[in-house]
Amino acid sequence: MSSRLTGSELALSVLDELYSTASKGSERELVKRILDLVDLTMSERPASMATINVLRQIGLYILEHGYSGVDKYILELKEKYQAILERAVEVMSRRIASGEVLLSNSNSLAVRKLLAHLAKQGKSVKLYVTESRPGDEGLLLAEYAEGLGFDVYLIVDSATRFFMKSIDKVVVGAEAVASNGAVVSKIGTSLIALVAKEARKRVFVIAPTAKFSPETLHGELLKLPEHDWKLLVSSEEAMRLPENYNARVPLYDVTPPEYIDAVATEYGLFAPQALPLVLSLVEKSGFTIIRPLEDVVSGLKKLIGV
Amino acid sequence: MTNYPQRVIEIANGIREMRIRGAGKIARAATEALKIAALEYTGEGDLVAFKKYMVNIGELLVSTRPTAVSLPNAIVYVLSSLRGVTSFREAKEAVVKRAERFISESEEATRRISQIGARRVRENSVILTHCHSTAAVGVITEAFKQGKVVKVYSTETRPAYQGRITFAHLAKSGVPVTQIPDSAVRYVINEVDYVIVGADTVASNGAVVNKIGTSQVALAAKEARTRVYVAAESYKFSPLTLVGELVTIEYRSPEEVVPREWLEKHPRVKVLNPVFDVTPPEYIDAIITEHGVIPPQAAVLILIEKLGWALDFLGYSEGRLDLNRIVSL
Repeated sequence: MSSRLTGSELALSVLDELYSTASKGSERELVKRILDLVDLTMSERPASMATINVLRQIGLYILEHGYSGVDKYILELKEKYQAILERAVEVMSRRIASGEVLLSNSNSLAVRKLLAHLAKQGKSVKLYVTESRPGDEGLLLAEYAEGLGFDVYLIVDSATRFFMKSIDKVVVGAEAVASNGAVVSKIGTSLIALVAKEARKRVFVIAPTAKFSPETLHGELLKLPEHDWKLLVSSEEAMRLPENYNARVPLYDVTPPEYIDAVATEYGLFAPQALPLVLSLVEKSGFTIIRPLEDVVSGLKKLIGV
Repeated sequence: MTNYPQRVIEIANGIREMRIRGAGKIARAATEALKIAALEYTGEGDLVAFKKYMVNIGELLVSTRPTAVSLPNAIVYVLSSLRGVTSFREAKEAVVKRAERFISESEEATRRISQIGARRVRENSVILTHCHSTAAVGVITEAFKQGKVVKVYSTETRPAYQGRITFAHLAKSGVPVTQIPDSAVRYVINEVDYVIVGADTVASNGAVVNKIGTSQVALAAKEARTRVYVAAESYKFSPLTLVGELVTIEYRSPEEVVPREWLEKHPRVKVLNPVFDVTPPEYIDAIITEHGVIPPQAAVLILIEKLGWALDFLGYSEGRLDLNRIVSL
């Protein structure tokens, strides 16, 4: 499971994979694959809420409706995910005026879609991108924005505060949104948000409600994966490292809701703290039905007798 | 230039070509050059002629690295010994004595900072440092030897990875050190008791100019109520800022951040690579100098203590250093 895929990309790739399994294989095969993906996600991307929610939804469908029609359901779920992402991006794009200077990090699919949207609307923006170690995904975002014809400034993560005064808005994607409105995103996002707050710059998160973590409503903590030093260096660089080199390399961090001005969702722009309320009012999302993942997993296991 | 001693020229070139590096080493080398210049002076035995000669040597040395604050500080410190002398013999002796004093004091400074700084660290402490600073590593190592340090986080410090040098120095002394990417500072800061960093320049209002990223490390520390200490020798304090001069922040080559091939493939992406940033004094709990621990806002005390001449502005003509006034010519 690649750590380079963004939260949305991962969910979409899981949907694609399960669709092809569902349209070719047996119920047993599909259920086994779902269970494998749950394990894989929980160990490598435990905060990737979009993927976890997608797996939960498909599992629930099978438990409630059986195998027939599941391929169609998966396809619908994918279309729905793309549609809500698009709507969230559209909501965000209305908040951005031509000529504004934005800052983002990593290589969020939502942020890329936002830039494409702005380009289509003929809004010209300038974009600062942090290189976003570890992984340097910022270079990919810079490349994408350059392709759209925007002026792009690439900076090291440490230079965020140096340039914050020249920036109008910070816009980032999310891996998950917790019930208190805290946002899990690429490591360094919380520092960017803090720096933005200090400079009184607005911070926006684009997150369709499929990123919301229903588990956190029940007090569950989101788990954040960490890597070791190997993620920091290429193999030739590794030769030149000091002896006994060791490092702690977290991949995500938590931005507290008070540093976020608004979350752009498919239902509109909300204070992060308002999201659970919004979701309880508009339960139709399909991603919000609260059924613990373990229930779904044990139901599926019983179904195929493992 | 022809009648300047050869070794003086060599030192000047060494600083200019960055063979002599690091604030302390630059300052000591320049001071050594002044001492040699005085000892090997072959001109007429006249006080005014000697002063003019020393001013010229001083100007040559200052011009080698215009942005390194330790350099003019060392030169002014040595040349101000020429104020109030009455004879040529007395003048020559004053320069040599002052130069020797600067060299021994500055070597002693880092050691004293280690000791003073280590006293500020409580038992079972976790420390975070950014970039590589001899003074900060000195404090951390001394505190570790006293059994007070359980863990040190060292940031990678992009783009040049000076954190790896810090890692190597600390690991060599047995300090348990863990590297983190610069983006992970806020993630770990709740575990950290003290941020200890060095300084490139300390401005007269107590703002600290240091490696890019220092100011956001300090901000994250402030948010978490983690103490921030800056370890800085007194020759890092900038008298020019007292007369309103701004510290200029150099931008270095984009190729330090991404490879040349990447730049060529992406002509519309501008890579901005500032070397330093400014940490405001309100994010710094104390500056540890060889003269003691001071609140950053009292930086001016160090300027008075060390460079009292600066305060009468005599050495500055329109905000620029004027060595003629320093030696009262």
